Amino acid sequence: MAATRAGPRAREIFTSLEYGPVPESHACALAWLDTQDRCLGHYVNGKWLKPEHRNSVPCQDPITGENLASCLQAQAEDVAAAVEAARMAFKGWSAHPGVVRAQHLTRLAEVIQKHQRLLWTLESLVTGRAVREVRDGDVQLAQQLLHYHAIQASTQEEALAGWEPMGVIGLILPPTFSFLEMMWRICPALAVGCTVVALVPPASPAPLLLAQLAGELGPFPGILNVLSGPASLVPILASQPGIRKVAFCGAPEGGLRLLIQESVWDEAMRRLQERMGRLRSGRGLDGAVDMGARGAAACDLVQRFVREAQSQGAQVFQAGDVPSERPFYPPTLVSNLPPASPCAQVEVPWPVVVASPFRTAKEALLVANGTPRGGSASVWSERLGQALELGYGLQVGTVWINAHGLRDPSVPTGGCKESGCSWHGGPDGLYEYLRPSGTPARLSCLSKNLNYDTFGLAVPSTLPAGPEIGPSPAPPYGLFVGGRFQAPGARSSRPIRDSSGNLHGYVAEGGAKDIRGAVEAAHQAFPGWAGQSPGARAALLWALAAALERRKSTLASRLERQGAELKAAEAEVELSARRLRAWGARVQAQGHTLQVAGLRGPVLRLREPLGVLAVVCPDEWPLLAFVSLLAPALAYGNTVVMVPSAACPLLALEVCQDMATVFPAGLANVVTGDRDHLTRCLALHQDVQAMWYFGSAQGSQFVEWASAGNLKPVWASRGCPRAWDQEAEGAGPELGLRVARTKALWLPMGD
Amino acid sequence: MSAHNRGTELDLSWISKIQVNHPAVLRRAEQIQARRTVKKEWQAAWLLKAVTFIDLTTLSGDDTSSNIQRLCYKAKYPIREDLLKALNMHDKGITTAAVCVYPARVCDAVKALKAAGCNIPVASVAAGFPAGQTHLKTRLEEIRLAVEDGATEIDVVINRSLVLTGQWEALYDEIRQFRKACGEAHLKTILATGELGTLTNVYKASMIAMMAGSDFIKTSTGKETVNATFPVAIVMLRAIRDFFWKTGNKEELGDEWLKPELFRIGASTLLSDIERQIYHHVTGRYAAYHDLPMS
Repeated sequence: MAATRAGPRAREIFTSLEYGPVPESHACALAWLDTQDRCLGHYVNGKWLKPEHRNSVPCQDPITGENLASCLQAQAEDVAAAVEAARMAFKGWSAHPGVVRAQHLTRLAEVIQKHQRLLWTLESLVTGRAVREVRDGDVQLAQQLLHYHAIQASTQEEALAGWEPMGVIGLILPPTFSFLEMMWRICPALAVGCTVVALVPPASPAPLLLAQLAGELGPFPGILNVLSGPASLVPILASQPGIRKVAFCGAPEGGLRLLIQESVWDEAMRRLQERMGRLRSGRGLDGAVDMGARGAAACDLVQRFVREAQSQGAQVFQAGDVPSERPFYPPTLVSNLPPASPCAQVEVPWPVVVASPFRTAKEALLVANGTPRGGSASVWSERLGQALELGYGLQVGTVWINAHGLRDPSVPTGGCKESGCSWHGGPDGLYEYLRPSGTPARLSCLSKNLNYDTFGLAVPSTLPAGPEIGPSPAPPYGLFVGGRFQAPGARSSRPIRDSSGNLHGYVAEGGAKDIRGAVEAAHQAFPGWAGQSPGARAALLWALAAALERRKSTLASRLERQGAELKAAEAEVELSARRLRAWGARVQAQGHTLQVAGLRGPVLRLREPLGVLAVVCPDEWPLLAFVSLLAPALAYGNTVVMVPSAACPLLALEVCQDMATVFPAGLANVVTGDRDHLTRCLALHQDVQAMWYFGSAQGSQFVEWASAGNLKPVWASRGCPRAWDQEAEGAGPELGLRVARTKALWLPMGD
Repeated sequence: MSAHNRGTELDLSWISKIQVNHPAVLRRAEQIQARRTVKKEWQAAWLLKAVTFIDLTTLSGDDTSSNIQRLCYKAKYPIREDLLKALNMHDKGITTAAVCVYPARVCDAVKALKAAGCNIPVASVAAGFPAGQTHLKTRLEEIRLAVEDGATEIDVVINRSLVLTGQWEALYDEIRQFRKACGEAHLKTILATGELGTLTNVYKASMIAMMAGSDFIKTSTGKETVNATFPVAIVMLRAIRDFFWKTGNKEELGDEWLKPELFRIGASTLLSDIERQIYHHVTGRYAAYHDLPMS
């Protein structure tokens, strides 16, 4: 028999049956750091960039505090160099056919597969996350993402005809993130032909390793460039003239809020506590722990939260097999937290769960939707009807029914409200990095002269300009709010002139209070309208189209007054009616079912209305542009507050006459007045859920700035005119994309 | 041996509202398997512990007294003595938990174990094993005869048709009668989970079997197309936990459940796999086929 080599402890373990360490060797991670002499620079254009005279930040093991390497901090000139490299790489990368990009992405997936141990040990070592989470989750998903997007790239010419890549994408990542968050964003960008400059926080080696793996593949070194640097570099990156889009992501969701029905509260809490008691925490590189640690800062944050929650009256339960020293923190269940207490309002830190009871499903929905966050949620119920009711009703980007945390490259993941309005994965993720062919690239030069405090603040006073000599019958006077024409709050009017400068008539001068009323009316109408079937919505749009055709001669003569030729005027009316019908028909075929690898059961990709949509119409095409924007918005179940063409709002008011008879009250509200002032009121209204602005570059800049207040999705024209009479720009797929948001509803099955 | 489970009155409200979430159980099963590995000394100690849970089994048509005798010796000496010595475990009295045979072989097993001078219990399958598709009367008689022959543990199979048609009272009554027929012997109820259709049925059958007084519930006979699986085990363990919560016992399914009186693994080939692993742990080499004694 061979020599023995057994240790002495088996005897004790036989009695105690304790778990032992299952250490994952991180020798390869250290060896990789050694190849850089323990000094990480930036990875730009396929080469390590280690400029001199830069500050450096230590990269530490979050659990032991041991110094692993030092990381150089980028400066403005490094950012410029990276953007320039990405810009040069874009020329070649985007010009290649999709299949070439597909091959390259596939090769990157293969390289990751070959070096996955290095990737997962490095990530776990540096972040302190449990290694099996990285190994079985992130690394596998990273490869799947590359494969999925390789397939998308290979069919790009057919599937995404009419779209072109935006250009260089600036990607900004938060202080604590998984390299996977970066993969969700760079895969679609690279697939469609964009190139990327990623600014990662100090001491994040995994993205640098990925960039190195991609760079060493050969022919396209500059497509992925990674810089590490402080948050102060963010505005510098965003304002680089070469950057066409900036994508950023916030810190990943930490803790959870749990709503439990009162009737099962005791039983559910008991089981939860029982399970928590069996959780094991330890060094991330131990293969048998459920949770690692996330460093001293995260530990401070959660300690503070729990202390405050306790002082505000909450009950705290902690359990689990957790090392007692910092930075480990036990899984924590907080209950009885008064809803009005400050802790109930803030984000829950990891690893805390805040549980609160509810009485009915309806109440649960109100509570769940009553937060500014809208990322993801899961519903646990064995009653299918109830689960679906909640799944459809939750205002979030992803809902899992009886499951949690599943992700797949083909399922769009995003959010609503303050969780942002961009999408990763699936076809939705690709469009984030595409723009309709032929439209001008984003102009990144922002005007520094725009004063956000005063833009549109004051309304220039309007005086009587003489008697009206408009056609008869005179157009209706007032703001169209809540289904009828109302006098404006300011009780004053503004003159509208025709193309030859004669006074055409007066329209109401709307103001902040009128906007408030219009948004309220739209909100009241929203649930009823969104609840209608697409068919029912289409029927009303068709009815409006028929009404427009009946009013054709009046509308055409009004357009003539604005300088259009009779034939062209009639064509505009006819096209407007066609647009209403087309969107009514198109909305019937929305949403579809996805089949996901490894999941039994479907994932529903739903297209849900945005809510109350504010639309500031362009000056040109006073009828066609108004209708072209109104039709998709209503077809997809939104309700709208519209500011019609400032030059000629009378056409829109004519349409309002028909809307008053055809539509339920509040569906579409039209407010006339000073364009900048109304824009200001709408953009700063926190309860407007999306905004489209077609007007000046300055106005666009203001709308984008102001909308950051509630992170509503914004579509602004930045002063570029659109050809509303052309199918692509007046009724193209871009409108269809912007008019609704996607929700992924996961329905795992099995009995 | 521990005391018997006296069972409870039939209370259908314990099972009426139960619905097992199949995908969630599958996910949990995956998680446990991925997150709870043991290595080195821990692996060796856990494997030896597992040996003490094994019902070392032979259930073949060609069983005779000679291979039953061999099996009984293997039950007494499951791991090579020198390997145990190397682990300093030779004085722990490691044997398998029981020897499990067909009723007609109980006498052989009792005799062989007596000759080997050990008190490992003999378990007998009974009650129409493995299908349970015989008359209740003969099933009960089979149990009585096995007990008479000296079996101290009886592995019965439940009547699957009662589960599939939802006749829970009838199932309860049958197991109650098994219980009675066992007398002082332990009643181990095999649910044949591969034939119950759903995990919800597995949970309900587990609960009924415990209410009726089973001392053990076992997954499967080894003769169905699908036998013991991880998800099924999770559901059964949760049923056991719920049963103990409901009957006022404060125990939970933690480490205190890991003793042969409360936990068993029915197996015939598992033991040799374990012995090979132990060999590797002790010597650092993989064993040749002839290095380990056969059973």
